[in-house]
Amino acid sequence: MVNLNTVPPRNNRDYYIAIGLEGSANKLGVGVIKCSRSAHMASGDNSHNCDVEILSNIRNTYVTPPGEGFLPRDTARHHRNWCVRIIKQALEEAEIKNPHLDIDVICFTRGPGMGAPLHSVAIAARTCSLLWDVPLVGVNHCVGHIEMGREITKAENPVVLYVSGGNTQVIAYSENRYRIFGETLDVAIGNCLDRFARTLKIPNAPSPGYNIEQLAKNCKNKDSLIELSYTVKGMDLSMSGILAYIDTLAKDLFRGNKKNRLLFDKETGEPKVTVEDLCYSLQENLFAMLVEITERAMAHVNATQVLIVGGVGSNTRLQEMMGQMCKDRANGKVHATDERFCIDNGVMIAQAGLLQYRMGDYVKDLSETVVTQKFRTDEVYVSWRE
Amino acid sequence: MSQEIVDTVTKYLTPNIPIKQISQGAEAVVFTSSAHPYLPTPEHDADGKPLQYIIKYRPPKKYRHPIIDRQLTKHRTLSEARLLSKLFLIGGINVPKLIATDPYNGCLWLEFLGEDLPNNSGFSNLKNFLWANVNDPYNDVVKSTLIKVGEQIGLLHFNDFCHGDLTSSNIVLARDDTQSNDWKVFLIDFGLGSMSKLVEDKGVDLYVLERAIISTHSAFSDKYNEWIIEGFSNVYNKHGKGGETKLKEVLKRFSDVRMRGRKRTMIG
Repeated sequence: MVNLNTVPPRNNRDYYIAIGLEGSANKLGVGVIKCSRSAHMASGDNSHNCDVEILSNIRNTYVTPPGEGFLPRDTARHHRNWCVRIIKQALEEAEIKNPHLDIDVICFTRGPGMGAPLHSVAIAARTCSLLWDVPLVGVNHCVGHIEMGREITKAENPVVLYVSGGNTQVIAYSENRYRIFGETLDVAIGNCLDRFARTLKIPNAPSPGYNIEQLAKNCKNKDSLIELSYTVKGMDLSMSGILAYIDTLAKDLFRGNKKNRLLFDKETGEPKVTVEDLCYSLQENLFAMLVEITERAMAHVNATQVLIVGGVGSNTRLQEMMGQMCKDRANGKVHATDERFCIDNGVMIAQAGLLQYRMGDYVKDLSETVVTQKFRTDEVYVSWRE
Repeated sequence: MSQEIVDTVTKYLTPNIPIKQISQGAEAVVFTSSAHPYLPTPEHDADGKPLQYIIKYRPPKKYRHPIIDRQLTKHRTLSEARLLSKLFLIGGINVPKLIATDPYNGCLWLEFLGEDLPNNSGFSNLKNFLWANVNDPYNDVVKSTLIKVGEQIGLLHFNDFCHGDLTSSNIVLARDDTQSNDWKVFLIDFGLGSMSKLVEDKGVDLYVLERAIISTHSAFSDKYNEWIIEGFSNVYNKHGKGGETKLKEVLKRFSDVRMRGRKRTMIG
């Protein structure tokens, strides 16, 4: 029996307040949540239905110029520069006057992610903890995504497709772990799209993936596709080859390499495809692979619900395809959230951290707050579920 | 499953063929039927009961672009049919018998295998079998069955074939004969299979199975995987020095593939 009320809120309140700090990649997020300590949480598997109230959800993204990616060093500098301002703004918006009295727990991302940015944010978390005398909880970034998705959509036990810049995983819960059923063997889907966006030299704001999505929407010729390889390997997939190939196509197109018969007409030398066509074909191909491995995992564990989380999860085409897949399965239902919760944010870290804290699992000594770049989803013991 | 798929398949097969859905996998819907596609009268088994056949139908997937969908359906059905017919001729390998195929519409007719396990444990695939034995997870029948599973995969790989989607639900058990307690192991679902001499593909195959076992039968997976590899090695070791060298290569690549899993923590 899971009892989420073991640790009482501070100062005899009947609700918890948690602040989450996220900075594993180029987004710096701070979120404050309030969660009542209701009686139904004392027993049963209710971690997907905590009545969470979001008091603030502030995010600042480090945007690089078109054609460039974000380097760990520069991203860390961005996070260091903005961290204090954003924490202050989040507290102000949440109307928290005395953090040392009002906040129950500070949650921060322990991994996985880029080392330098993770480190900067962890230092901020430790400082706040010592300053306000509030306990700390180190959170796995992927688990943060999953828990926030479950809370928002109220999906009880879904198969999770976690697609972002650094991760592509199909996850299902079993015996106190979020187990990885399928994942990418090389680059992540977001990374693949980001790198293609860099080749196309399209803006990185608000996000490269969003801009590719818009280009794909404007594709004039949706009946034909550029043939790309379809590399599903069991429940895993591989994307680096597809990226390398479409990259060369894009480069040939920009350079005007007339020898490429796929891109240029043999007689007239007119280009046959546009950048929009490339984006459309890439998306259709990659997302079909993602939906297929998700369906495989669903069939394997007999699940009916899917939850899409992670930055790429805010792509409406992916959500639409997943919806069509679910429609053909018995009682199939797809759950997705919008960019506020899909893209990295502080609220999700607060939510997963608060669940962990309520089970009595928090940092007892600062030496436990070391961040780690490699932190697999299935390493976390999920004590708050049955 | 939605009514739409049932309608498409009934329209395709014509209402003269009685079908009963038994499962919906990721890419195909599986039906049983007592009708044979080209024999005029139904066949009967030893007890005089009419024989059942499997119809594996790959419905068009609406989420995929039609071009990708047509290509995949045709390619997978055709390659599955080809593989099954080739594998059927190799001694020792157990696969269902292929009866008919229509790659353009994504339809396969196969021999029916397996039975229902006692105590409502479901159909006799490896997954249900292992779950049915959860109270006595390391008994002799489990051990010998898993070694046989390993041997089937070993034979497959030794003959340079790869399965591509080895999970415990894609391994079906059928009684050797009704009296004995022994199981005969069949590999099914070669939709992602291929002929391949590459050590890489074989390593990935073993890795996929290992992970499937770990994720569905986590508590006992160490022993289970050990037995599977034991059976796998048996096949190669029968072929003298050459077999042993090949085995070493495959197992070496298998451990390499395992290390490649992304963000796996490395100790040391």
